[in-house]
Amino acid sequence: MLNVIKRNEFEHMQLINRIIEQFPIVFPALNVGFLQTLKLFAITLVGALPLGLIISFGSMTKFKPISLLTKVVVWIVRGSPLMLQLMIIYYLPGLVGKNIWGGGESGRFIAAAIAFIMNYACYFSEIYRGGIQGVPVGQQEAGQVLGLTKTQVFFKVTLLQMVKRIVPPMSNEIITLVKDTSLARIIALQEIIWAGGAFMKSSHGIQGQIWPLFFTGVYYLAFCGILTLLFGYIEKKLSYFE
Amino acid sequence: MKKLLALLLVCVMAISFAACGNTAPATDNNETATAQSDLDYIKEKGTLVVGITDFEPMDYKDDQGNWIGFDADLAKAFAESLGVEIEFAEIEWGNKILELNGKSIDCVWNGMTLTDEVTSSMDCSIPYCNNQQVVVVPAEKAADYQTADSCKELNFAVEEGSAGEDMAKENGFNYTAVKDQATAVMEVASGTSDAAIIDSLMAAAMVGEGTGYESLTYTVGLNSEEYGVGFRKGSELKAMLDKFFEDAKASGQLKEVAEKYGVQAALIK
Repeated sequence: MLNVIKRNEFEHMQLINRIIEQFPIVFPALNVGFLQTLKLFAITLVGALPLGLIISFGSMTKFKPISLLTKVVVWIVRGSPLMLQLMIIYYLPGLVGKNIWGGGESGRFIAAAIAFIMNYACYFSEIYRGGIQGVPVGQQEAGQVLGLTKTQVFFKVTLLQMVKRIVPPMSNEIITLVKDTSLARIIALQEIIWAGGAFMKSSHGIQGQIWPLFFTGVYYLAFCGILTLLFGYIEKKLSYFE
Repeated sequence: MKKLLALLLVCVMAISFAACGNTAPATDNNETATAQSDLDYIKEKGTLVVGITDFEPMDYKDDQGNWIGFDADLAKAFAESLGVEIEFAEIEWGNKILELNGKSIDCVWNGMTLTDEVTSSMDCSIPYCNNQQVVVVPAEKAADYQTADSCKELNFAVEEGSAGEDMAKENGFNYTAVKDQATAVMEVASGTSDAAIIDSLMAAAMVGEGTGYESLTYTVGLNSEEYGVGFRKGSELKAMLDKFFEDAKASGQLKEVAEKYGVQAALIK
């Protein structure tokens, strides 16, 4: 019994030593992967935040064909797995005709970015819609009474109050996005999970190591922690309506 | 005003959607013209895109980040003989047929075992290397599992769609299919499976002394199998690579590269 405990202790020491020894090689490799993760995260936000607003207008318009079309698009995008959308966007053009992305890293990134932007724009559009429709009608009437035009009412009254309302659901969705970026590895986009997983086989001269994959969790936790603080700060800043 | 704005924006969206849908049929016409010849297609774009995974000693990166290895060096020589540039693309191994048919890569050249799945969906070169599927078990239990029969009581983890899975089926083992070979080995290390079946080349690199899995070892070799290179169905490149291999064998180039990466024992004479 004592022997077993001693042996376990010895093995743990060995593992810790090995991690210390390999860390200088693993850390830069994970950073390269995390940079890809961040790039995908950032470009998705830049594309999906405005596109989501456009889609939300589409779904709220009183002109039936357009609101119906928008709702069908939102249904398709929200109703199918993001992983499947990634594979369809990247592989289908080449399967039915000509490969428009190329085999290199940049093509895979652009395909992933398009899939993520479409996907998150649809989710964001519903959050925007909830935010806009949640502003009481009385606010718009008050604006009109004050002599504002419809456009002025929208930008200066409705939109302003919408922003405050949507911060909690948006922060939720954006934190989900941080972790969803890992799905892009299905089309071989080399983000951080890919970079960490590569050490399980062989990468940078290190073979059969599991700890780098688990260690990637630290990056996600740190980044989501920063986002949580940021959103808390934004929420506080926007509390002037109360 | 708001309605008009929405109408305009949705139109833009609809057009961009239509544009996405259009790309396929629009390019279809000139595609059928070039579809006859895979060689012309590759010569026209001027690059041979080789689908690989990071797999020492076949394909891996040197200190400068360039791809080297037994397969990588030969692929470079082959591309040179075609007069085109070479580009290596790391892929998800499970998607290799999709990558090939989707034209994001032009061949799969990465110590690929010639299984039925592979030979039925790609045009494969003549085999150039021998390989074996081996059983990975904890070292302390290795003595009990030296034959295929004695392994029957174990629960196996194998890579989905791999030669290892075929072996597990053939021998009537209980097995769980997992994402890749590395995951299969991790299952054994964490105790969620009793044993795994993986390539001998990979087993040599992954388990035993000096690796992350010092408590594991490999025992029985279940079969012998061969490595080949996969091309799209109907590609002329298959015949050209066969000839390239024959020439490289005759000139001693194949042996020379194999010795550089320590795989000469596996080379097919």
